Amino acid sequence: MQRDRGSRVVAVSGVGAVCGLGWGVDAVWKGLRAGRAGIGPFRRFDHARHRTHLAAEAGAPPPELARAIPGWGRLSIADRFALFASREAVERAGLSIPLGEEDAGVYFGSSTGGMFESELFFEEFLRDRGGRLSSLASQQVNGPGDAVARHLGVTGPVETLSSACASGALALGAALEAVRSGEVEVAIAGGSDSLCQLTYAGFNALRSVDEVPCRPFRAGRAGMSFGEGAAVLVLEPLERVLARGAEPLAVLAGAGASCDAHHMTAPDPSGKGAAAALSAALADSGLPAEAIDFVNVHGTGTPLNDAAEWQALRQVFGERAAELPLVATKALVGHLLGCSGSLEAVATILCLRHGELHPAPGAGAGADPELPVSLVVDEPLPLPGVRAAVSTSLAFGGSNAALVFSRWMDRTA
Amino acid sequence: MKEPVLLTGLGTIGAWGPGSDRLAEALARGEAPTAEVDRAAGYHLPEGAARAGLVPPGQFGCWLSSGESRRMSPPSKLALAASRMAMRCAGWSGTGEEGTAVVISTAFGPSTNTEILLKQILNEGPEAASPTLFTESVANAPAAQIAIACQATGPSLTVSQREAGPLIALGRAAGELTTGRSPRALAGAVDEMTPLLHALLDRFGALTREEVARPFDRRRSGFLAGEGATVVTLETATGLKERGGRALARLLAWGNAFDPTAPPTGWGTGVEALARGLRKTLSRAGLRPEDVDLVVSGASGSRGGDRLEARVLRSVWGDSPLPPVTAPKAVTGEYGGGVLGAAVLAAAGSPLGATPGFAEPDPELGIAPHDGSPLPLPATVLVTSLAAGGAAAWAVLGRP
Repeated sequence: MQRDRGSRVVAVSGVGAVCGLGWGVDAVWKGLRAGRAGIGPFRRFDHARHRTHLAAEAGAPPPELARAIPGWGRLSIADRFALFASREAVERAGLSIPLGEEDAGVYFGSSTGGMFESELFFEEFLRDRGGRLSSLASQQVNGPGDAVARHLGVTGPVETLSSACASGALALGAALEAVRSGEVEVAIAGGSDSLCQLTYAGFNALRSVDEVPCRPFRAGRAGMSFGEGAAVLVLEPLERVLARGAEPLAVLAGAGASCDAHHMTAPDPSGKGAAAALSAALADSGLPAEAIDFVNVHGTGTPLNDAAEWQALRQVFGERAAELPLVATKALVGHLLGCSGSLEAVATILCLRHGELHPAPGAGAGADPELPVSLVVDEPLPLPGVRAAVSTSLAFGGSNAALVFSRWMDRTA
Repeated sequence: MKEPVLLTGLGTIGAWGPGSDRLAEALARGEAPTAEVDRAAGYHLPEGAARAGLVPPGQFGCWLSSGESRRMSPPSKLALAASRMAMRCAGWSGTGEEGTAVVISTAFGPSTNTEILLKQILNEGPEAASPTLFTESVANAPAAQIAIACQATGPSLTVSQREAGPLIALGRAAGELTTGRSPRALAGAVDEMTPLLHALLDRFGALTREEVARPFDRRRSGFLAGEGATVVTLETATGLKERGGRALARLLAWGNAFDPTAPPTGWGTGVEALARGLRKTLSRAGLRPEDVDLVVSGASGSRGGDRLEARVLRSVWGDSPLPPVTAPKAVTGEYGGGVLGAAVLAAAGSPLGATPGFAEPDPELGIAPHDGSPLPLPATVLVTSLAAGGAAAWAVLGRP
């Protein structure tokens, strides 16, 4: 038989990101730290007839990208996000493109792939059987991950996971396993999704979208806000990163997953499934719950999801749950669906690196007495001694994932 | 020595009907059960492909309740029915699956629901979008419905990697067991073949417009589109011993690789990259190429795909003769996991008929698929699955 858990410590050697706060990790961190919500009016498609009218839309890409990336004009928007974030992550890791000689793999999450382009095609096709077939080339959700592998010249495993909003986090879990076990030496892992009408209308049909920017864990919250973008982590064995003189950004210490097995759209109100994923991630990391200094919550802003997540936090962290600082990245970047877990992983790593937790906007939203949490709002929370954090992703269909990150120096001390 | 992973149950539904016995019969006969695709919507070109391996109506029988049939998307129904067949085959109760992982692959997701939703949004306006349809339009709906139905609380994963998806799902599920994260797992594939999807695949030039697909044949002109679901149950040897069940096959190894020279919808030239991935997979199983008794190939009749498959196999075997190669997608069609079902049946000793449509060897490929004559029970079966766009996956099955 092959493959066990493996024992290698897995470092994050590079990160890349694009979202409604900007293109590139520096722009994203600047927006996060400022607590500046990127959620507002958007232009991706005509939303006049939709129920709500806000999203965190990524702005125009840096003009040099079109020159640097072959075939840019033929790529879907989700592919473009994915390529940008992958290039940034690989460059920050100090690796060269292409990765052809590296023992590398790609592990990606996506919920809609090239759906936006498919909608444009389908509209034309329905009208007069027109439409460019080539615009469907990335229609499947494996489009962004495949595009990354193609661009980076990866010849190892390439896997796309499409488990709705847990996709990005599950992809990171798969990458962690691959590096730990020695399946690959370099894992390019993350997710990408772009705004599209199908999900925008669909979640609105479920009345799961707030008419104002989402307010995770706050009183009066009324649903999610949409976002788009990509986030990518480069994972490698810690020894390999140190051996080439690079500085690890963090350690991906553990991953866990579970399923509520309860309902297609509603979370198990007991939080039992989410707690199982959290507990599994902690067990995988070898860290006790007491070692966790903050949680980057899934925090969609829907009444039911946040309440279920609070129950899960109570089960795992006990009385400490009320004091544990919570970071709600979606309040700033919206819900990036299949990419949300990977973008929130990047946010978590940046908080660990900078020793401060980014805030959510607090104005106009009071605390929810039913959810007595310590949400970081308005101002960054300095946490210079921060050692470890967990990020949660809780998806449609009850699929749950959790990731534990730690500062690598703590583990080598 | 790590814990062996065993395949203990098989469930499948497709153009052959419900159940692995029906699939085994179709494979033994070497006949592709096809049907006319509904072209009433006008999506098809007049000269376009007309047939596909479609699930006949009224096949769910006892496998789904009326409520499940009513509210689920076609892929969710197919996947849940195949899961229940697999669990019955394995002797599982089908409920209370605490910690069991569910890993399902799909190339296209719930296409019917997506198409209806898009029509609602584009034609009637976004407020016409049905929340019920949307719930069942997400790619992970089949995996979620399986988990809900059998209370499987382990990881719920949906793999989307086109034609390589079924074997990647199998490997990922096995990984859940070998890492100790789940005590057992359900793994497989599902896809539906809607008229729209069929028409678009044909417009891409992917489908054969003949009655049969002809894998490895000189005259091959594309693949036969198919639909259905195939699910296997996976258990550790220790777990199976404790409960006293029997196994169909042992999963000796799995692996995957990527050809970055492939365009998004076509086939590349990266033979060596894929051959390296296949060698690595065989090596993990502790096998040399000449130890493989049977290749259950994912060759589908695609001109470029079969050529790449043949070149990869030739590269790995070098000057040594290939073992018997069978190409079950000529019977099952592409999509829906039929190749996975055929591989498990072959490993368990089910007879394999001739590959329908094969008559003229392609000298460029140098592979003549198995002619249907009796084969000895294989000790090792290599399953291959190359995907348009660059992905590739392999699995090696052995006797329990």
